[in-house]
Amino acid sequence: MSTPTRPVAAYRKGATIPGPFGLLKEGIADVASRRRLIGYLARADLRKAGSDTLFGNIWWLLDPLLQMAVYTIVVTVVFARKQEAYPLFVFAAILPWKWFNSAISDTVSSVSGNDKLIKQLKFPKIVLPLAAVVAGISQFIFGLIPLVGMLLLFYPHHLSWTILLIPVVMVVQLFLNLSLGLLFSAINVFFRDISNLSRHVLRLWFYLSPVLYGADTVAKMGGHRFIGQVLVLNPFYPVLNAYRDLIYYGQLPDWGSLGVVLAGGIVATVFAIIVFKRLEPSFAKVL
Amino acid sequence: MMQPFKRPEPAAAGSFAIDVADLGVQYNLRLTRRTTFRQTLANASRRQHEDRRFWALRHINFRLEHGESLAVIGPNGAGKSTLLQVLAGIIVPSEGTIDVRGNVSSLLILGAGFDQELSGRDNIMLAGAFLGMSHKELMGRIEGIIEFADINQFIDAPIKTYSSGMRARLGFAIATSVDPDVLLIDEVLATGDQAFRDKSKARILEIAANARAIVLVTHDMNWVTEFCNRAMLIEKGTLVAEGDPAEIVAIHQQHSAEAQERVVAQGIFAGAKL
Repeated sequence: MSTPTRPVAAYRKGATIPGPFGLLKEGIADVASRRRLIGYLARADLRKAGSDTLFGNIWWLLDPLLQMAVYTIVVTVVFARKQEAYPLFVFAAILPWKWFNSAISDTVSSVSGNDKLIKQLKFPKIVLPLAAVVAGISQFIFGLIPLVGMLLLFYPHHLSWTILLIPVVMVVQLFLNLSLGLLFSAINVFFRDISNLSRHVLRLWFYLSPVLYGADTVAKMGGHRFIGQVLVLNPFYPVLNAYRDLIYYGQLPDWGSLGVVLAGGIVATVFAIIVFKRLEPSFAKVL
Repeated sequence: MMQPFKRPEPAAAGSFAIDVADLGVQYNLRLTRRTTFRQTLANASRRQHEDRRFWALRHINFRLEHGESLAVIGPNGAGKSTLLQVLAGIIVPSEGTIDVRGNVSSLLILGAGFDQELSGRDNIMLAGAFLGMSHKELMGRIEGIIEFADINQFIDAPIKTYSSGMRARLGFAIATSVDPDVLLIDEVLATGDQAFRDKSKARILEIAANARAIVLVTHDMNWVTEFCNRAMLIEKGTLVAEGDPAEIVAIHQQHSAEAQERVVAQGIFAGAKL
């Protein structure tokens, strides 16, 4: 008989639930011990995404480009807005927004969609939303390829070394994606409305974020003080502005407001992990 | 204190594999099954204070020593599968404690976690990662799994192209590729054709010989008497009888015959003809 190499999985389970700090520690330990599973799940997600279409994974490059084309036509032709190099201007914000959008829509159903698995295997459920978030990262990185291509071919005068700082802003955004994804995936188990509701909230959020328009448009909204304030309190306001600073304007972003978003994102992620771990024991019963 | 991988030591006092003390599992019906805000609001506005909770299992006590194999029998909906889910660590008990020593492998419904779009090989990797195998362990086992499942030339084709028999074989091969200390089995014995059934039975007996303890949930009474040295009858979430397999099977058969008589006496069958 072969000697198992993994540690013995003796466990003792009672009805007690650890406190918030214990839950957080458990959640982090879950992720650390199942890194490889998260990787497999993310890779499986990506392979599936490309396997049943003619162009396969080329869609990751085409998707943001086509979306850029649509918004460019709508905004510059229909609304006749003047903005130099508008395709690049909008692409710089579409890419991160698409990342956020798909991170939320993929994670929301990541737990409730795997009901069979959850009822038959013992594993840390936190890997499911995390895998969806990780898969999103690589899609975002693929989207950077057409971005760099566009800069080199059509807008060389916008090309700046500042694009090398994109990963820093990505880290800030990652915590936003992670916290909301974890929270929604857990709550959606109990209330399936979340997945319907999130679609509309995301759409409204998209139009209230500086994707199609820039920070200067928001500044001019003096007449609508309330809306203007909401726009600026939106965590995506500094994040999208930062991407645009790095890609379009070739200048350094406002590190102060980014730092605030980062701190808020980390706090929100900690909160989301605790909520997720607190609800996790009920998943197998409710699904 | 137990010694993880030296086996099988003599069943000294306290060297149990599973200890269940006053186990209870409660379901809250208000939360189960596709709740939406609307229903929640409707319930809240109606101020229903009826008890929507029920105990799927309650006051379950037993201890399994090394070398014991326990059959859990009972009518449908008695709580047998819930018991296995608790032992597997999938469901956390609402009251009482369970203590499982050693690594657990559960053969609940086979092929859980298969991804239809992925190839057989990718699914083995994925399932292995779910079961908590290390990469090295998995690489060492993958050829054996493919061979046992007997799907050699299809292993790189997506699972959705497999027949249900092939899928079940692959699931069985993955689930039984580990050598667990505690094996939990839920009605998976009848898969595939006769040849594979014999092969899988042989494999289960092999694992059983090495495992410290086995818990088997089945409706096949032959398995209970042939294969287990202890049995337990669960009805409506409570432990009704426990002991020698042949005796327990007799009680179970008597109870189900009585239940059937009651149904006939109530004329449900007669009414259904209309």
